[in-house]
Amino acid sequence: MEIVVLVKQVPDTESLIQIAGDGVSIKTEDLKWVMNPYDEFAVEEALRIREAQGGTVTILSMGPAKTVETIRTALAMGADKGVHINDPAAEGSDPLATAKILAAALKDIPFDLIIAGMRAVDGDNYQVAPAVAEFLGIPQITQVIKEEISGDTIRCHQVVEGGTAVIEAKLPVLFTAQRGLNEPRYASLPGIMKAKKKPLDVKTLADLGVDAGTAGTANRKVKIKALNPPPARKAITMIQGDDPVAQASELVKKLHEEAKIL
Amino acid sequence: MTEEREEFPLDVLFVGAGPANLAGAIHLKRLADEKGLEIEIGLIEKGDQIGSHSLSGAILDPIALKELFPDYLERGCPVEETQCRDRFYYLTQNRKFEVPFTPKYMHNEECCVISLSRFTRWLGEIAEEMGINIFPGFAGTQVLFSEDNQSILGVATGDKGIDKNGNKKATFEPGVNLTARVTIFGEGSRGSLIRQVDEKMEIFSKAMPQVFETAVKEVIELPETSPFLTGDTTVLHTFGYPLGLDTKGGGFLYRMKDNRISLGLVVGLDYEDPLLEPYRMFLKYKRHPLIADIIQGGKVLQQGAKTLSIGGYYTMPVLSVGGALFVGDSAAMLNSQRLKGIHTAMKSGMLAAETVIEALEKDDFSQATLRAYDQKVMDSWIASERYEARNFSQALSRKGVVKFMHIGAQYFTKGRGLKDPLDIVEDCATLKKLPKDFDASALETEKPEYDGTLYLDKLTGVYLSGTQHLEDQPCHLIVHNTDICETLCYEEYRNPCTRFCPAQVYEMVEETPGERRLVLNPSNCLHCKTCEIKDPYKNITWTCPEGGGGPKYSIV
Repeated sequence: MEIVVLVKQVPDTESLIQIAGDGVSIKTEDLKWVMNPYDEFAVEEALRIREAQGGTVTILSMGPAKTVETIRTALAMGADKGVHINDPAAEGSDPLATAKILAAALKDIPFDLIIAGMRAVDGDNYQVAPAVAEFLGIPQITQVIKEEISGDTIRCHQVVEGGTAVIEAKLPVLFTAQRGLNEPRYASLPGIMKAKKKPLDVKTLADLGVDAGTAGTANRKVKIKALNPPPARKAITMIQGDDPVAQASELVKKLHEEAKIL
Repeated sequence: MTEEREEFPLDVLFVGAGPANLAGAIHLKRLADEKGLEIEIGLIEKGDQIGSHSLSGAILDPIALKELFPDYLERGCPVEETQCRDRFYYLTQNRKFEVPFTPKYMHNEECCVISLSRFTRWLGEIAEEMGINIFPGFAGTQVLFSEDNQSILGVATGDKGIDKNGNKKATFEPGVNLTARVTIFGEGSRGSLIRQVDEKMEIFSKAMPQVFETAVKEVIELPETSPFLTGDTTVLHTFGYPLGLDTKGGGFLYRMKDNRISLGLVVGLDYEDPLLEPYRMFLKYKRHPLIADIIQGGKVLQQGAKTLSIGGYYTMPVLSVGGALFVGDSAAMLNSQRLKGIHTAMKSGMLAAETVIEALEKDDFSQATLRAYDQKVMDSWIASERYEARNFSQALSRKGVVKFMHIGAQYFTKGRGLKDPLDIVEDCATLKKLPKDFDASALETEKPEYDGTLYLDKLTGVYLSGTQHLEDQPCHLIVHNTDICETLCYEEYRNPCTRFCPAQVYEMVEETPGERRLVLNPSNCLHCKTCEIKDPYKNITWTCPEGGGGPKYSIV
């Protein structure tokens, strides 16, 4: 089984996130960059499938030079090789342009299965992976919490409102990982050492045959007008007391009189 | 650690990614390359990335940095402020008195303001580019000794994926035995591995114990219009309020880039009053008119706390044993008189590197060879600048104005003073017991005011330190006997752990009157080690939680 995992490097949500002077981006100087947590689920699932069925796991990521750290993390977890699309012209691409570039790269990588995180925690668009599947003309199953492969068929449990949908498709397929799919493994110390010697190709847009005039900040179809921090959370009120009945009626009173939602 | 662990051999292992070890590793790699020695160098760090657990004032004397990189500015060294224009104040509750004459060691003209977290991150990037194997997120949990305990073989890293009850989770990943021809310990203040070394090899002096201070620090963003950002003064140091003259310590305020300032208060852990709360002292300090005026309208971006090893020259441990060297705060390298330790830490790391090169060339890592490091330290400016300060911290521990008699005498006698060496007591032994009829209501006299932006409660501070630990792991704070906490310590000291911990890790809950129970919140831990140092019964042992946990400092 040839598996490709789409991975994105994102700021650690515990980092100090501050809006930059331009009002439409964040300050990057003191950020810690990590693998998008949903992509960790994707990498883990790919490794499990490979362990069961054999094959190769290839990590595909786009981003500046430091993205290589995240690809190496996936290699340290156990993936076999990496492809890094690093081109200044691609910087700031919107989800559609990003998906086009990734799809172009996938023309040169054999795959039976593509796995991605269901969303990236920075842009929060949910768009790149589905768009990649569209460009490649293959079936896609989003928000997967369980998968089984038998022969050339994959059966996925997809989270839907109020329940789970079970969806089947013939490979090749792209599916996106939702929390609950698995618990990602640690990158071990020997794994980190081995990762340094694993193959990692770097590609530019020209290598992929993508016109730079369709990518990057200048060619965004989706434009960010402004960024605002979320409103500060109000202090929590603990309802004191030993009697649950009294506490419950106090809660109802507060919801009615103070929060005015009842 | 019952099962077979993978052994991972290196030539040189550095434990801890502070300025001492990073400078040491870089210097070593460079010397080895010059000599054509091909060696495998590894560096482990318990923080999730280099710099995550680095916190300091910090004013840097670039003397060692210049030796390492004469072109450090061109290389992009993250300097916050190149001009150190000092003021030094004595504070009373509402007033300030500028100290007209400051001794030479308090001058900072040649120095610059840095964020240690940023600085170590920068050094870490350089080290990685040079081909040093950097392993952030890996905690050393056990020192590997030779069978006869005469030499050190390396360090074992902690297992990952162990649950609260000590059972393996599905994600279990065993630690490895990192073995090395020589191991360099730069764990920082009160290391948990160097404690194991001391237990086996007795490297610390009993007569002149290690002593510490705890610093609480914030980086605050000021409004663009703040006059302090364009004023002449860039560096403020204070003593007096809120600590008074009986508790050593003091405050600092430094100007940084991007409208930011660094603000902190350092409290000597030899304080006597069990009711004293360093974090509260810090809040009081911020409310002093001198500070409150400067920080007005500001917003705290990051907070953290750390201890400093302050005892100086006479508290230095044995610096080398078979197979290992000790650098930086692990070896009490700080100069308390100059309030600086980064330059001495870096230099000690570099001297260790030079010793390691000699040992590699001789292929001999016995103490007889490694002892050359002790001599190199003694022959360097580390020793000469610290020798004059050899009784300084000890003098500051004296109460009231007596300290000034000692300090004055030391000033005119090149550090000898009225008594040499001047004695000192361990920090855990200084608390005074509360009277038997102590009125508990005195504990809650004044509630500090918090606004969630500039004046923060402890938990908001913990949030702003980025601290995170996996919840489902064994508690890394070992309280040996909780009966002591619930009875004896309550009666004698009213549980000072609930106050000296800057992160609210320790809470004493009284669900029914008279029935107390110690509750631990180890996930809050800032890894400052104050608890292990100050607990009057030595009832707390700090061990390393799963690698990658702890604060995520980036600008402090």
